[in-house]
Amino acid sequence: MEYFLHILILVAIYVILATSLNLIAGYAGMLSIAHAALYGMGAYVAALMALKLHSPFLVNLLFAVLLTGGLGLLLGIPALRVRDDYFVVVTFGFQIIMFNVLNNWISFTGGPMGLAGVPQPSIFGWSISSRIDFLILGFCLGCLSIVICWRLGRSPFGRVLKALREDEVFAMAAGKNVAASKLVVFLTAASLAATAGVMYAYYVSFIDPTSFGFTESVLIISIVIVGGAGNLWGSVLGAVLLISLPELLRFVGLPGVFAANVRQILYGALLILFVMWRPQGLLGEYRFQKAEAKE
Amino acid sequence: MTWQLLVNGAVSASMYVLTGVGFAAIYSALRFFHFAHAAVVMTGAYVAFALFQPLGFPIWAAVAGGIVVSACIGCGMELVVYRPLRSKGAPSLVLLLASLGMYVVLQNVISMVFGDDAKSIRITEVKEGLNLLGARITPIQIVSIATGTVALIGTGTLLRFTRQGKAMKAMASDCELSVASGIDTTRVALFAFAVGSALAGVSGILIGIDAAVTPMMGMNVLLMGVIAVIVGGVRSIIGIAAAAVVLGMAQQFGAWYMGPEWQEAAAFAVLLVFLLFFPRGFSRIKEGKATV
Repeated sequence: MEYFLHILILVAIYVILATSLNLIAGYAGMLSIAHAALYGMGAYVAALMALKLHSPFLVNLLFAVLLTGGLGLLLGIPALRVRDDYFVVVTFGFQIIMFNVLNNWISFTGGPMGLAGVPQPSIFGWSISSRIDFLILGFCLGCLSIVICWRLGRSPFGRVLKALREDEVFAMAAGKNVAASKLVVFLTAASLAATAGVMYAYYVSFIDPTSFGFTESVLIISIVIVGGAGNLWGSVLGAVLLISLPELLRFVGLPGVFAANVRQILYGALLILFVMWRPQGLLGEYRFQKAEAKE
Repeated sequence: MTWQLLVNGAVSASMYVLTGVGFAAIYSALRFFHFAHAAVVMTGAYVAFALFQPLGFPIWAAVAGGIVVSACIGCGMELVVYRPLRSKGAPSLVLLLASLGMYVVLQNVISMVFGDDAKSIRITEVKEGLNLLGARITPIQIVSIATGTVALIGTGTLLRFTRQGKAMKAMASDCELSVASGIDTTRVALFAFAVGSALAGVSGILIGIDAAVTPMMGMNVLLMGVIAVIVGGVRSIIGIAAAAVVLGMAQQFGAWYMGPEWQEAAAFAVLLVFLLFFPRGFSRIKEGKATV
């Protein structure tokens, strides 16, 4: 039962990550490999504040969201200048720099040893200690993320994002503020990724840079692609499938040392298979193809 | 000290050039970022390592084996994944996603087979290098620099004087026009993958002999190679070489003053500045098709 709850909590964290990345990649069509960097930023801000300042959970959450939102804006600025593949390279660079900072700034972030002993959170006297408590918290944050992304996606703003992804010049010609829309979507997605990071840091109570590296970004992208870019429920379904599927491997008697490798191979293989045979994912609509190239 | 840094910079530059030129050959023919190139670099190094140490083949056979397997893996990626994707009309972002997937799969397969610890292809015992104007340089480092130079000249000659090479250049400047003038672009693409991946294998093996073989080595060197390509210009081998030399030197001098752990982050900061402020600047990587 505890094990089952653990999987559900992880699913909740990845639902937040996938829905927020879907806003950037699926709705606005800007593929980013830096989502794990934003996730890590949220986790580290909360963990550092909890450990060094002993500030309460909600304050840490707020600061993590604000600071990561700022970082997201920083990531959004290049998106105003470079597009498509080049933007991917920029986010790649961003991801590598973030990982290096977490890994090398030993006096502040603990470097490869990570940060241990993040205290248990409490909200207005509700002390979150058992897995059930964490699941409730994760469920609330996950739902919050879905609602925010859903509202944004259905709003006029969401339609501007989709217009952006299909034909940026056309959106501009129609009088939409392309630059502002891009920045807002990065701000929102980064803030949401930060909540996932905070949740993760408090839940596992030990964080190190390897949880927020390049392969983690690829995992989040795989969830979005498998579920379907541009469809919110796709990301939820993708998170449920990709997080629970590797757990099934435990039951076929796979040696434990290879578990991490096999999981990653599974994610990579799913990514390849989906882009080859079902680029729109399970529920999606977008194939990373511009409108003018579709004929 | 300066001499020593210059020598070390030249050694790293030769690795970046080999990886970068291979990457550029594929990029210029097909216009997408083949991140799985990093896995090809790594495969070459691990195959050479496995043939040389546990299996006991002579070093020349191990090196040849590593290069051949690299070329085969690269061509395999093109045949099994990229070509079918292109024939479905997939845009470059989708090819990039597929390459990320292939990188993750191959990297994890290798780390399952060989483990995550650093391996080294030890040809000679470690000893003090030769003295060159006060700098120490090992024979292997001389071989690295020489191989880098020879491979550069070889690839340049291949592109300029052979039929396949000319076809590659034509494809790089305008793919549709090359189809119209009777160039078999699918075959040229495969050729680009073979040449590019063989170069990747060479650079992986050299890194393995000079330093160490690890599951992360491919991505590290590829990223530097990509920086050299973006800064130096995808069409110009000399440009890539110049950028790689500058990058190698900057890293060595930067490491001397800032500490080696910030090398990678510093290189990327330079790349970001380049992409943001000179997106077309020195590189012309974005110029795409000739305008009609």
